[in-house]
Amino acid sequence: MSSLLRGEEMCLAQLFLQSGSAYDCINELGELGLVEFRDLNPSVNAFQRKHVNEIKKCEEMERILGYLLREVKKADISLPERDVNPGAPLPKHVMAIMEQLQRLEVELGEVTRNKEKLQRNLLELTEYTHMLRITRNFVQRTAEREPLQVQYEEFPFLEKDTMMDYSSMQRLGAKLGFISGLIQRTKIEAFERMLWRVCKGYTILSYAEVEEYLDSPDTGEPTKSVVFLISYWGDQIGQKVKKICDCYHCHLYPYPSSNEERNDVVEGLKTRIQDLHTVLYRTEDYLRQVLIKASESVYTWVIQVKKMKAIYYILNLCSFDVTNKCLIAEVWCPVNDIPTLRRALEEGSRKSGATVPSFVNRIPTNDTPPTLIRTNKFTSGFQSIVDAYGVGSYREVNPAPFTIITFPFLFAVMFGDLGHGVIMALFAFWMVLYENNRKLKKTRNEIWNTFFEGRYIILMMGLFSIYTGLIYNDCFSKSLNIFGSGWSVKAMFTAGVWKMEGIHGNNFLTLDPNVTGVFTGPYPLGIDPIWNLASNRLTFLNSYKMKMSVILGIVHMSFGVVLSTYNHMHFRKKYNVYLVFLPELLFLLCLFGYLVFMILYKWLVFSAKDSRQAPSILIHFINMFLMQGDAVQPLYPGQNGLQVFLVVIAVLSVPVLLLGKPLYLYWLHNGRHRLGMYRGYERVRRNSEEELYLLRAHDMEEGSSHSDLSSSGECQTEEFDFADELLHQAIHTIEYCLGCVSNTASYLRLWALSLAHAQLSEVLWAMVMRVGLKMDTTLGVLFLVPVFGLFAVLTVSILLVMEGLSAFLHALRLHWVEFQNKFYSGMGVKFCPFAFSLLPSSAEHEGLL
Amino acid sequence: MAELSFNVDHGYLEGLVRGMKAGILTHTDYHNLAQCDTLEDMKLHLQSTSYGKLLSSSEGDLTVSLVDSKLRESLLTEFSCLRSNALPPLSAFLDYITYSYMIDNVVMLITGALKQRDVAELLPRCHPLGAFDQMAAVGIARTPTELYSAILVDTPLAQFFQDAVSESNLDEMEAEILRNKLYKAYLESFHSFCKSIGGATKDIMCPVLEFEADRRAFIITVNSFGTDLSGADRSELYPSCGKLYPEGLRLLAKAEDHEQVKAVANCYPEYKLIFDDPEPGSDFKTLEDRFFEREVKLNTLAFLQQFHFGVFYSYIKLKEQESRNIVWIAECVTQRQKSKINNYIPIFPGTS
Repeated sequence: MSSLLRGEEMCLAQLFLQSGSAYDCINELGELGLVEFRDLNPSVNAFQRKHVNEIKKCEEMERILGYLLREVKKADISLPERDVNPGAPLPKHVMAIMEQLQRLEVELGEVTRNKEKLQRNLLELTEYTHMLRITRNFVQRTAEREPLQVQYEEFPFLEKDTMMDYSSMQRLGAKLGFISGLIQRTKIEAFERMLWRVCKGYTILSYAEVEEYLDSPDTGEPTKSVVFLISYWGDQIGQKVKKICDCYHCHLYPYPSSNEERNDVVEGLKTRIQDLHTVLYRTEDYLRQVLIKASESVYTWVIQVKKMKAIYYILNLCSFDVTNKCLIAEVWCPVNDIPTLRRALEEGSRKSGATVPSFVNRIPTNDTPPTLIRTNKFTSGFQSIVDAYGVGSYREVNPAPFTIITFPFLFAVMFGDLGHGVIMALFAFWMVLYENNRKLKKTRNEIWNTFFEGRYIILMMGLFSIYTGLIYNDCFSKSLNIFGSGWSVKAMFTAGVWKMEGIHGNNFLTLDPNVTGVFTGPYPLGIDPIWNLASNRLTFLNSYKMKMSVILGIVHMSFGVVLSTYNHMHFRKKYNVYLVFLPELLFLLCLFGYLVFMILYKWLVFSAKDSRQAPSILIHFINMFLMQGDAVQPLYPGQNGLQVFLVVIAVLSVPVLLLGKPLYLYWLHNGRHRLGMYRGYERVRRNSEEELYLLRAHDMEEGSSHSDLSSSGECQTEEFDFADELLHQAIHTIEYCLGCVSNTASYLRLWALSLAHAQLSEVLWAMVMRVGLKMDTTLGVLFLVPVFGLFAVLTVSILLVMEGLSAFLHALRLHWVEFQNKFYSGMGVKFCPFAFSLLPSSAEHEGLL
Repeated sequence: MAELSFNVDHGYLEGLVRGMKAGILTHTDYHNLAQCDTLEDMKLHLQSTSYGKLLSSSEGDLTVSLVDSKLRESLLTEFSCLRSNALPPLSAFLDYITYSYMIDNVVMLITGALKQRDVAELLPRCHPLGAFDQMAAVGIARTPTELYSAILVDTPLAQFFQDAVSESNLDEMEAEILRNKLYKAYLESFHSFCKSIGGATKDIMCPVLEFEADRRAFIITVNSFGTDLSGADRSELYPSCGKLYPEGLRLLAKAEDHEQVKAVANCYPEYKLIFDDPEPGSDFKTLEDRFFEREVKLNTLAFLQQFHFGVFYSYIKLKEQESRNIVWIAECVTQRQKSKINNYIPIFPGTS
């Protein structure tokens, strides 16, 4: 409990690690997660540190592992899910792992390259067959002398022309050549235009689209392409055409000169494609086998490499001691864990077989240690609510233990509904029951994770909502009549106040509690169910809830102020108790505490009989500040005198709060020199400073460079600046005094939100459920099913989720602003220990595991 | 009024580019990079910057050219992301940025073809920002007219060819003149385009482009000393959208040596600084470096205003300068020229 209230006591310790066993020791520490390392060489660049080569090696291995994992994932092989926790590999075993990984990478790379080559080959051959099939049409059409198609109009004509001119061209020494191939459809237009421009019409281009999408050999993506055939004269032009084809990334294939040759090529292609298919299948099979073999141990490797990298990273933070052949590390460690730390170091030394043991040495420091508050799965949710505002300063009172009760309670005051609370509690209970389920735990859905992390908070909120729902007597906006109402309608008749004829004429009848037998006594738990029928229900509940929220708020705030004494006492600032805490408490209680008193007094003293004389508290409270109570009837004898007294005290406490602390500190600071009261204390301090100095000198002799770091904190002397202090206190005073008013008003949100929730659920009932219930035929039963469905969906989505979130938000605000600013500074730094379990591996980071 | 509706079309991209600007290496990054001993160290350090795992995914050994191409690739990825999301006036603006790279690519391919180099060998050396479909066919052309009428007429560069067309055979000198003519047309067209957009874009981009034009004029003049390029020929190459136009350019055309160029620059305060003799004691910087410094300064100014396209131009140019810096440092590291390593041009020297 003490650690939950204040956080653990921390100390700065020096670890002397023998260089031979440092790796094992840090491995042990990483498994345990006990200590936070400090960087002893902050001025050294990342790449100038000692173990940078090892880290590079680890990164290389991570790269290969990432490659392996990607390949495994691509091949759709599931990784064996295991909960093994392999230790960090010994440095001598690293080479073996590295070699294994590299071999795997090379093998995989080769097989994949082969596969890609084969695939490319296959695609090219497919393209070739398509090309041959389509170009045959170009030629066949001329051979068969079919009616000319518009698209290829010029082709047969020119073809004929070429036939005619072929001999004459040959005579001229020019050669008719063909170039055929495939081009992407989008490029064909530009291609044609350029061809025409460059070759000035000495070429004939004919093309046709391939109907299917062909996988492009370059990118592997399916693309629409166009088969083309260019006929040209002369080598010069041929060169140019080839260049242009290159620049448009055409895939060129040899064009068979005769039909027989074409058929031969097609036959050859068919067999080659078949062969390729079998070879490709074999290769893929082999690739799969390699990957399956790799996937068995890849998880272990990922963990091992992660740990190794972390260890070297930590070793880089240590400073190296040349003379003693040992590494010095500075760590923050909880005082209670020092024996465990010692044992871990012994274990590490034993494992590495070092002759000289590594050991721990506590060193004094003036640096503020990090804050460690140990939590379990129940408290962690509440602690994170507090931490979201600010991590507590070292050894400061932690609001989390109180939050465990107050947070769900304030939430429930706003969310008070028995039915909604039950649903919420059941949902949270289900999450708690299945909290060890892997599927719930490891999901990547962020919204779900938020709910899951807060399952205990939701459970508590649900339970408290059940309680407040019972108090408000609200269950899906209806009241439960468990104990029987304390009001009786019958008594009105027997007393003769109501007559039969009067009832028929009146829409509204008033029950008079002063008539005997009408009001027999209060309902045992919460609000009487008869109010559900009353037309003035809202007026009644509003007055009740408003007063309740003011009372709860002032109790909550006073509690916060009282908690601040724990801080004052613990940090040895007794003067704060008298100069800050007392005036604060007096101010709050004299003004608003008195308001609470008046509310309770009115509740207790005035009953139904003399309700006509019941005073307005508001008027009395205003009169209290105006100091004129003559106009109204006093609540109790001596009221005026007491009120004046309280106001005077409250007003007087303001200057005390404003000036008390600065003046006292000023006197303390100046008086210490004059009066010499604290000389004894000073001497003690000086002694300890000398010790520190000696220690530092000792460190310097050892050649460690960390002293400049630790000394920077120690050299700070307490500078006192009166103006500064006065300014701070003035700000604090203004904030506090104004805050008392505004914060009290702020607690009225409890009333507002609970009103909103109750009204919303009532509207939902009246607009949806009542419509369904009004139908009294048999069809009405069928109609009720969708109506109830709608009611259920709206209840969950609006009343539970939306309203729940808004109530949560307001409860959060009440805790952070109204409660915690009374005592909590939240200026600390969280203790983050070096633990393997907290480190995400690079593979997880990329979403591969 | 354009500012009111700017964010409707271009707000997302402006936000994006400002975000990317935050990834430009800072003074500390350069400081750390300059301390590296090997390329591996540089890779390690670049991992902690916005480049991330850019270099680490590559297998095999790192070389400076690999670094260079990787940097270009990342610039291209960023640019194509911007370009594919851009809407009309901005998309035309972004296209204008690529034209300068296209011009360089065309000229490089022509000179390569003149030296009988293989196109396949030249293509990887082209700047990917200036890549276009017809690029590989550039080597076919023999004269600028043929180049224009056969190959480049379909490319966006065609509009700059009006003045550059000549019947003379392409040689290296001619290619260089062609480059400058194209640049002149390009800069003038870009300048008038920015002017037509108006608003803050005009206010930001025009000074940058004017500076660019003047820089070209100076560089052309300085480089022409000792060649057979006459003053009249030179004056045809000067872009006429700069601050030097018209008097300065006329004087430049008459200039015969470096001193006379300096005298021209002295009339313009912003160029006087660049041509000033370095103070004794400070390290010597080449004229080119000083122009680069001035360009970086102008480009960083673009980020001070909102609702204009200048940030896109400036970002690309700054990123290009950053690539040059990294490559420079990498060269120095591999060649063990530690003394020259600090000659990079810092971008945002104020931030650290």
